[in-house]
Amino acid sequence: MRTKATAIGTALVALVALCAVFATSASAAPAWKFETKSLEGSEVILGGALESSLTIPGLTTKCENFLYKLTIKNEAGTGKGEVTELPLYNCTTDTAACSVSKIGAEKLPWPSHLTTVSTTPYIIIEGVRVSILYGGEECALNETLVPVTGSAGGSINNTTETATFNASTLSATGTSLKALSTKIEWNGVFPTEAFQWHREQAISVS
Amino acid sequence: MAQRTGDKRLLTPSAKSASAGVALALALAVLLLAGCGGGSSSDTSESTSSSASATATPAQKGSAAKADAAPANAATGKGAGAGAAGAPGKTSTASVGGGSGGAGKKHGPHVAQPKGAPEQAPSQAEVSSATVADIALSSPSLAPGSGEAPPLTAAYTCDGRDEWPALSWSGVPAGSAELILYAMNIQPVEGKLFVDWAVAGIDPALTGIEAGRLPKGGVVGTNSYGKQGYEICPPAGSGVTYLFALYALPRALSPRPGFDARELRRQILEVSGNVGLYPVAYSRG
Repeated sequence: MRTKATAIGTALVALVALCAVFATSASAAPAWKFETKSLEGSEVILGGALESSLTIPGLTTKCENFLYKLTIKNEAGTGKGEVTELPLYNCTTDTAACSVSKIGAEKLPWPSHLTTVSTTPYIIIEGVRVSILYGGEECALNETLVPVTGSAGGSINNTTETATFNASTLSATGTSLKALSTKIEWNGVFPTEAFQWHREQAISVS
Repeated sequence: MAQRTGDKRLLTPSAKSASAGVALALALAVLLLAGCGGGSSSDTSESTSSSASATATPAQKGSAAKADAAPANAATGKGAGAGAAGAPGKTSTASVGGGSGGAGKKHGPHVAQPKGAPEQAPSQAEVSSATVADIALSSPSLAPGSGEAPPLTAAYTCDGRDEWPALSWSGVPAGSAELILYAMNIQPVEGKLFVDWAVAGIDPALTGIEAGRLPKGGVVGTNSYGKQGYEICPPAGSGVTYLFALYALPRALSPRPGFDARELRRQILEVSGNVGLYPVAYSRG
C-alpha cells in the first residue's frame, strides 16, 4: 500500500511539474488580450506613428504618418495576425536633392505573430516589402526603385499600448530589414487601438 | 472459502488501485480543464470574453459594424473625416464599453490623424521605367559592416593607394548588353551629384573586377574632380557615405574614354536597366 501511495504521489508531483512546464511555455507564447481577457475570434487593430523613418546608409526616408492595419487572432494560445494595409503619408528624405516619388507596401498581407524575449512581448512582422522610388536630378538614387525587404520585430508596451520598432527591437528578435545589400534601420513608435469589436478597450499582450 | 477469501483479497487491492487510478484521472482532468493554472489564452476568462462578445447588445454590434468600415477608411485616409485615424475610437466612446471597467479602458494614446492623402506605391509602368535595385553587389576587399555601411579602408582612398576595391556581383539580368560601374557620394556636394568614378564597357558576362585593375574593354570616364579615373577623398574631419553602383543596361551606350560621368548617368537612367547598389562609409581624421 505504501509503495502504491508513493507511486500515486510521485505521479501527482510529476503531473504538477508537467503543468508547470506547460504554464511556462504558455507565458512564452503571448496572446492578444482586451481588458485582460484573451481575444476570441478576430479583431482589427490600427497602429500609427507620427514620424517613422527608414534609414538606408547615408539616406534617411521619413514619413510623417505611418500606419498599419492588422487583423489579429489567437491560435492555440499564441497571438497571430496579418498586416493588411500599410498607408504612408508625406514621405521625404533628409537630403534636399532626393525626393520620394512613390512609396508603398507590396505583397500584402504580411503574416505576424507574437513572441516573448526576456519577458518582453514582441510582435514579429514577416514578409515585409516596401518599394521606394526616389526622384531628383542630382540624387544618387534618382529614378531608382529600392525594395526594402525582410522581417521586423517590435516591442509591445502594455502600459502605453504602443509597439516600438528600432535597431534594438530588431536585434532582440533576430529580425532585419534589408535594402541595397545591407541592413537598414526602421524607427517608429506606434500607438495601437482596436477598430472593430473592442474599440476603446485596453489592448495588451501577455 | 479460502479461495473465495483469496478472490476477495485479489479483488480488493485491484478495486483500490482502480479507484486510485480514477482519482488520478479526475485530478488530471481537473488540472487540464483548469489549464494547469497557467496563463495561457485558454483560461476561464476567455469564455467570459466569448460570452461577452456573444451577448453584445444590438447597439454594440451596430457600432462595431460601423467600426468595420472605419479602419479601412482611416487606413487609406479616404472618406470625410475618416482620416481621423484616432477619431473613430474617440467618437465611439459613448457606444462602446458596455460592462468594461475603468481600469480596462484604453489608456494609451490614440492613433494620430494623418494629413493629406496616402503615398502611392509605384505603378507597374513606373516599375518598368525605373532602374530597379535588384542586383547583389558587394566587395570582397571590405569587411561587412555591422548593420551600417561597410567601412572603406584607407587603401581605397586618397589616404592610401586611391584605387577601387575589388567588387563582385550576381543577378545581372540575362540579355544585358553592357555593365557600367559608378562610385558616387550619396549626399550631393553643393547641391550637385558628385561622381568619384565611372567605368563603362564592362562585359555583362563578368561577375566581378579586381582591386585597381581595369577589366578588359573597360572605358574610364571623367569624374567630378575633373579627373579621368578614380578618386575618393573627402574633406579632412568629415565622414562620407559613398555608393558603388553597377548598372546593367538592356542596350549598350558604349561611351568614349573620358566621357562625362554625370551626363552618361542621365543616359543610363533613360535606358532603365537594373542596378546593384553597395554603400560604404569613410571618415577622414
